[in-house]
Amino acid sequence: MTYQEERLLFNQKTQCTVVHHDGKIKETDANIFKWKVGTSIYDAHPFFEILNSFIEIFEKEETTYSFPCIHLEDEKIEKICDITLKVNAQEVIILLFDYSTKYHELNKIAQQKNESILKSKELELKNQYLLEKEKFKNSFISNINHEIRTPLTSILGFVEVLEKTKLSFEQEELARIIKRQSLHLNSLIEDMVDIAKIESGKIKIVDERFLFINLMEGFKETYSKLAEDKGIQFETYIDPNIQEYLIGDRTRVFQILNNILNNAFKFTEEGKISLSVTKNYQRTNKLSINFKIEDTGLGIQAENLENIFERFTRFNEDKQVSGTGLGLAIVKDLVDLLRGEIKVTSQPDQGTTFDIKLPFKFEITKSAPEKKKKKYSLPESKKKFRILVVEDEESTQFLIMKVLISHGSFFVDVAINGEEAVSYLERRNYDLVLMDLKLSKVDGYQATHIIRNNYGDKVISEVPIIGFTAKATEAERDKCLRSGMDDFITKPFEQEDLIYKIVKQIAKKAAL
Amino acid sequence: MKLSKKVVLLGHFGVGKTSLFRRFVDNEFSEDYKVTLGVQIKKKVIEMPDGRELSMIIWDTEGHTEIEDTRKSYLLGSNAFIYVFDLTRIDTYKDLNKDLAYLAKNHPKVTIKVIGNKLDLVNEKETLSKFKEQNIVVDCLTSAKTNKNVQDFFLDLANEITA
Ligand SMILES: Nc1nc2c(ncn2[C@@H]2O[C@H](COP(=O)(O)OP(=O)(O)O)[C@@H](O)[C@H]2O)c(=O)[nH]1
Ligand SMILES: [Mg+2]
Repeated sequence: MTYQEERLLFNQKTQCTVVHHDGKIKETDANIFKWKVGTSIYDAHPFFEILNSFIEIFEKEETTYSFPCIHLEDEKIEKICDITLKVNAQEVIILLFDYSTKYHELNKIAQQKNESILKSKELELKNQYLLEKEKFKNSFISNINHEIRTPLTSILGFVEVLEKTKLSFEQEELARIIKRQSLHLNSLIEDMVDIAKIESGKIKIVDERFLFINLMEGFKETYSKLAEDKGIQFETYIDPNIQEYLIGDRTRVFQILNNILNNAFKFTEEGKISLSVTKNYQRTNKLSINFKIEDTGLGIQAENLENIFERFTRFNEDKQVSGTGLGLAIVKDLVDLLRGEIKVTSQPDQGTTFDIKLPFKFEITKSAPEKKKKKYSLPESKKKFRILVVEDEESTQFLIMKVLISHGSFFVDVAINGEEAVSYLERRNYDLVLMDLKLSKVDGYQATHIIRNNYGDKVISEVPIIGFTAKATEAERDKCLRSGMDDFITKPFEQEDLIYKIVKQIAKKAAL
Repeated sequence: MKLSKKVVLLGHFGVGKTSLFRRFVDNEFSEDYKVTLGVQIKKKVIEMPDGRELSMIIWDTEGHTEIEDTRKSYLLGSNAFIYVFDLTRIDTYKDLNKDLAYLAKNHPKVTIKVIGNKLDLVNEKETLSKFKEQNIVVDCLTSAKTNKNVQDFFLDLANEITA
């Protein structure tokens, strides 16, 4: 095909140029670019430098090279051309086919396509990054939680011990501040752990049968007292048509309502707070309950209402009002987990209303009476009871010893690991073992297993054991009970709680 | 005789070929992405340490996901290929070794360099150790955005292909 034929074939603007092997332009129709005969094609555009390499390797036969979609420009015009080069013994024929229009259209399509791919990759990258960060954060929180709880146990415990010593008025005040701040820190940690658990799907909702009316009475009791102290009113209404016993997650329901009530009290200085609990609907064994908590407090600005369930949002800059800023975020997460609904309406300076709908189930058969928290007392057969504390952390050891010794009914020995604990048990009779779970060498579970299984002597194999851990998880609890422990207590603990559990186990054992 | 060498930028779209090209030739950078269709060619005259002048003819190609899709004629008469990938997008370098083998096989005389670009978006140390683990050999990590290593890379390349 000659170049003229090619020119006919494509109804495009074409330019034909002939150059010598040294690059000098021999002739050109200057159809597109106004090149001049006698000038060098190498100066026309750097593309043409390629000619050099073709001339270098030229042998005998005319060779054709074609280059699609080349951007050519000079001072005046810019074109996108397909270029054909024919190299022969005497000269080089250059054919330019101007496809600018076609290529510009293609360009638009390619731009859109590539751009959307790049954008989605960018998003993917961002999401991946965020996910990884989230994952890291959650595991970080559960780990750091453990590390913080142990020293916090000591702080809280020692403050309690300190409070019982002779203190000046000022010292008493300072001790109270330390305690309040530590308790605040503790609740902050608990909130963070809850959030991390919710996010990583670790919170399991349980369906347990519980005395609903008791839960409500509990709120009534606690908050009536608080209202009295604050000089405000607290009113409750509980729909008498609601079943006494319901099936649901008592702990989470408590957490949700307690959080909202707490908030209401925090932000209300005068007027009234009310809790009204009504039945929404009931179908076969399911029912939905509406909890309405209304206050006449500070209220929330409309623009803040939208983000109220987000983390670390606090609209009150009042330093007197303490809070972690996580409470409502947890509430929302928990309500979602329970498949409920939560709504909030508010008028600044008038008050706030939370409407929470939660689903429950109930047993259609008649309800059985509920077990009350029983009172236990130490058997009178002995004056003092011997307790073995297995704990490797000095500050916790010391704290437990102080608590037990100041109670007056206990002798205490301390072992620092499972191995040592077992050898103590072999030497002496103990009434109870307080066993830390995270120990070096033989850990708490293993030690319990050994105690329960390796001894014919019932004094050893049936000694009551209470597990002691910084991890407050369901799994941990199960693990303790499965390994043969009788009970379980979480650090930081309330002194009363510890004593209650110890007394309970000793009393139970004595009653056998 | 005038010293002139052809260098071709290769690699997936969006990795920063055009940005490196513009950064080196005109010392410009833009955040906006503009697709490259076909080839753009620019010349940069480099003064060599020995006093010679080199015309580096740089071909900035549109870039394909599959190296085999690159127009064969674009690669003709080349002195060097610069294979650019995006340090933040694994799919722009997961076939790197395969692509390099393809280029080396079909163009045995051409110098081949590998650039990991967008260095400003990643941690250099982590990236290098990751590449070591995955057996990925990179000649240079650059950022067209911050101009990090761009000039040095091209100047080193100029020395290498004129030696
Ligand atoms: N952050 C950053 N962005 C870059 C860099 N190089 C290129 N980009 C951006 O990446 C996108 C694609 O660049 P471009 O040079 O067109 O890629 P090409 O398709 O390989 O030519 C553009 O939005 C550039 O602004 C870099 O070194 N750092
Ligand atoms: Mg480009």
